[in-house]
Amino acid sequence: MARTKTENRPKIKMSGKELRRQKFLLVVSFFMVAYGVVFYYWPLTGWLMAFQNYKPKKGLLGSKFVGLDKFKFLFEDDVFIKVIRNTFAMGLINLVTTTIMAVLFAIILNEVRRVWIKKPIQTISYLPHFLSWIVVTGILHTSLSSSGIVNEILLKTGLINQAINFFAHPKYFWAIVAFAQNWKETGWNAIIYLAAITAIDPSLYEAASIDGADRLQKIRYITLPGIKPTFLILLLMNVGNVLNAGFEIQYLLGNGLVQSVSQTIDIYVLKWGISQNDYSLGTAAGLFKSAVSILFIVIANEIAKRYSEQRLF
Amino acid sequence: MKKKVLALLLATGVVASMLAACGGSGDTGAAPAADATATADADAADDADEGAGSGEVTNFTMFITMPGSEINDDNEIAQMIADKWGVKVKETWLTGQTASEATGTLIAGGEYPDFIDSDEMNLLVDADALVALDDYIDQYPEFRDKWFTKEEWDKFRQPDGHIYWINPFGNTKGETKQTTHNDEAFWVQVRVLEWAGYPEIKTMDQYFDLLEKYIAENPTMEDGTENIAYTILCEDWRYFCLENAGQFLAGYPNDGSVIVNKSTMTIEDYNTSEDTIQYFKKLNEEYNKGFVDPESFTQTYDEYIAKLSTGRVLGMVDQWWDFAYTVNDSFKQSGLDLKGCNYVPLGLTTKEGMENRWHTYDDTVNQASGIAITTDCQDVDKAFKFLVDCAMDQELHDLRWWGVKGVDYDVDADGLYFRTPEQRQNWADTSYQAKHRCQYSYFPQWHGTSDDGKNANKPEEQPSEFMSDMAEPLKKCFDAYGHTTYPQFIGSVQETNGPWFPMYSFSNNFTTETPGGVAWAKMGECKHEWLPKVVMAKDFDKGWGEYMAAYEACKPEDFIKEMQDILDTFK
Repeated sequence: MARTKTENRPKIKMSGKELRRQKFLLVVSFFMVAYGVVFYYWPLTGWLMAFQNYKPKKGLLGSKFVGLDKFKFLFEDDVFIKVIRNTFAMGLINLVTTTIMAVLFAIILNEVRRVWIKKPIQTISYLPHFLSWIVVTGILHTSLSSSGIVNEILLKTGLINQAINFFAHPKYFWAIVAFAQNWKETGWNAIIYLAAITAIDPSLYEAASIDGADRLQKIRYITLPGIKPTFLILLLMNVGNVLNAGFEIQYLLGNGLVQSVSQTIDIYVLKWGISQNDYSLGTAAGLFKSAVSILFIVIANEIAKRYSEQRLF
Repeated sequence: MKKKVLALLLATGVVASMLAACGGSGDTGAAPAADATATADADAADDADEGAGSGEVTNFTMFITMPGSEINDDNEIAQMIADKWGVKVKETWLTGQTASEATGTLIAGGEYPDFIDSDEMNLLVDADALVALDDYIDQYPEFRDKWFTKEEWDKFRQPDGHIYWINPFGNTKGETKQTTHNDEAFWVQVRVLEWAGYPEIKTMDQYFDLLEKYIAENPTMEDGTENIAYTILCEDWRYFCLENAGQFLAGYPNDGSVIVNKSTMTIEDYNTSEDTIQYFKKLNEEYNKGFVDPESFTQTYDEYIAKLSTGRVLGMVDQWWDFAYTVNDSFKQSGLDLKGCNYVPLGLTTKEGMENRWHTYDDTVNQASGIAITTDCQDVDKAFKFLVDCAMDQELHDLRWWGVKGVDYDVDADGLYFRTPEQRQNWADTSYQAKHRCQYSYFPQWHGTSDDGKNANKPEEQPSEFMSDMAEPLKKCFDAYGHTTYPQFIGSVQETNGPWFPMYSFSNNFTTETPGGVAWAKMGECKHEWLPKVVMAKDFDKGWGEYMAAYEACKPEDFIKEMQDILDTFK
């Protein structure tokens, strides 16, 4: 770390004197580098498994090297192709909807002028974030069952005349996942936008009021541009997360009937890596996911660089 | 300067925690077993054999890859067992995961409980997680000779020649007292049979006919709950309730994954057989008529059990052990048994006059699973001794299955055990079970007759107990057909199964190492998705065609070939 720092600034020569002068920093950063190596980079040696026929008994060094065989198996497996599609689709739907909902919610909440209304709403809205998925999926499973509250209401109001079995039809699955994601995370995600809005200089609003801007115009011309940097940075970071479309929710809500749309890469990894004990195949799938995620984030970063000042690296 | 000192402190702090974390993984390995180690060491100091009586209690842990109810730590019978036999086992059960995931997670973590019962034993052997039991078995010749025959023990031998696990189930001691049908069947509630005047139901068509007629006249229960004609459990591995009825309907025994044609000694695939098609066609027809529970394919096991416990479900396919213990207990608690909600099995076939083999008369030795001792166990001698005690000590066996004399059961003048209605009620009560009952249900156990030559090893097999435990409607049903045991309802052919039986014990051990194993995994996945789709299809023939296309893509022939290779070794 220290070295790259000095290299980046060619003006300072890496002389012995300079090193002595920075010895304290060097000592401190040594520990941090060591921490990074041990906890972030050393575990990556496990990626070797993807190119072996790994057996726990033989270990990483004793297992047979098989090259790209595992990747070949993956991409010849129709299920895996579907799994990629599912992961990508659900990740994208979640990213778009949760971002929009969070921004929208933050702006609306910001427009509420009375603190005694605003604060409780904010608190209540982010509470679901602290529920575990097993609880959320339990609620969903019960309320969406044939005799659950949703069907009850739909039947009573006459919108349908036969209960819909929501979990038996692949077409509903992604929507249910997106709904659950939004229900759970909107309030929480909005916090950061609310903070960004608070940071906007109030004098801008005053000036706009004097110029005769109404509420919507103030949102349009002051609030939205004000949170744009936050929005872009978060979006960038989340693009790298698109393939982390989730594990628990799909795992807990899925069943045989909808498995062609419910399985994500993480579930696939669990299924083959842990259940079938094929660590190599699981690692290969995980490695693929990481590679694609890195690619996404680089591309998104490039685009952001080109069109605005915001970027991650 | 102050700042610098602070920063340095922080940095060292990070390193310290790092080291602690690294060292931690080594330490925690021993931590769960710490209790056991401490007492085990103390024990070793004593004479190992006397350890049992000396009041030293060794605490073992056990993980079972099945859902179950944990008993309280201060469970009364567990304590009695600990006092007398010097061992207490803390059982933990599967929650939230599938069996193979749980096993895989254990292997990935590399830390094991002392005892384990898993469906994925070969994976544990591969990971060097299990203790070879051969020498221990030979230390107890009486147990060795009584528990399995030599041929049966040999079935448990792994490729390296060792035995790593012992199947605790399905062994009969002395005269058989079989009263339950501990197998798969089409089950029907006795109230349905009573309503129809106890007809003879022989085929699948008659069965669904009966359910349809009953529900047409009795759409709801007395309290207004809607009746469900037929439900299907198909969560994870339990989808056998949907999947394998075809083999039985064709008259074959439960080889599970394939059919064995005995005359030609060939393996046949029941997934594509005529009888299976007929079975799914019938289900499809019933589904479209609205007689199959629409939640069938999305319900979890817990939801299924809860549904059965309400008494609403008239019939289903299931294994006795998969539902009866829980559901019958809850019927007794809620009084639904008096309304005729108990189930009796029917031995159905596709056509009338066919032989059926739903019931297995012989002991079934499933060599694919059983109880094993792991390498993390600190006192294998004592652990194995307890395992043998469970099988060989009648007093311990009675304590596990009958309970405490005078509390859970009484003895009449002839020396026969019996329970009073109150005792029976208690025994079925879940909170009483947690506080008092301790069955160690995955340790070796016997069916058949106790060492005293009179009583049954399991209360439900005690003829007098069996009859008096029955609620009135169930008894009436037994009387009406003139049956005294459940298997008589099935009326299976009595014959000895081949030495390969059951074939599922081989396919359960397949891994993705071989093409057949890959095919087996893919077939399972395909069937999980398509069988429900086929049942729900608007046009059955089209749906079946699509399913077959997807099924053929899994290369079932690879799987069949490997099963055939196994069968050939028995020629």
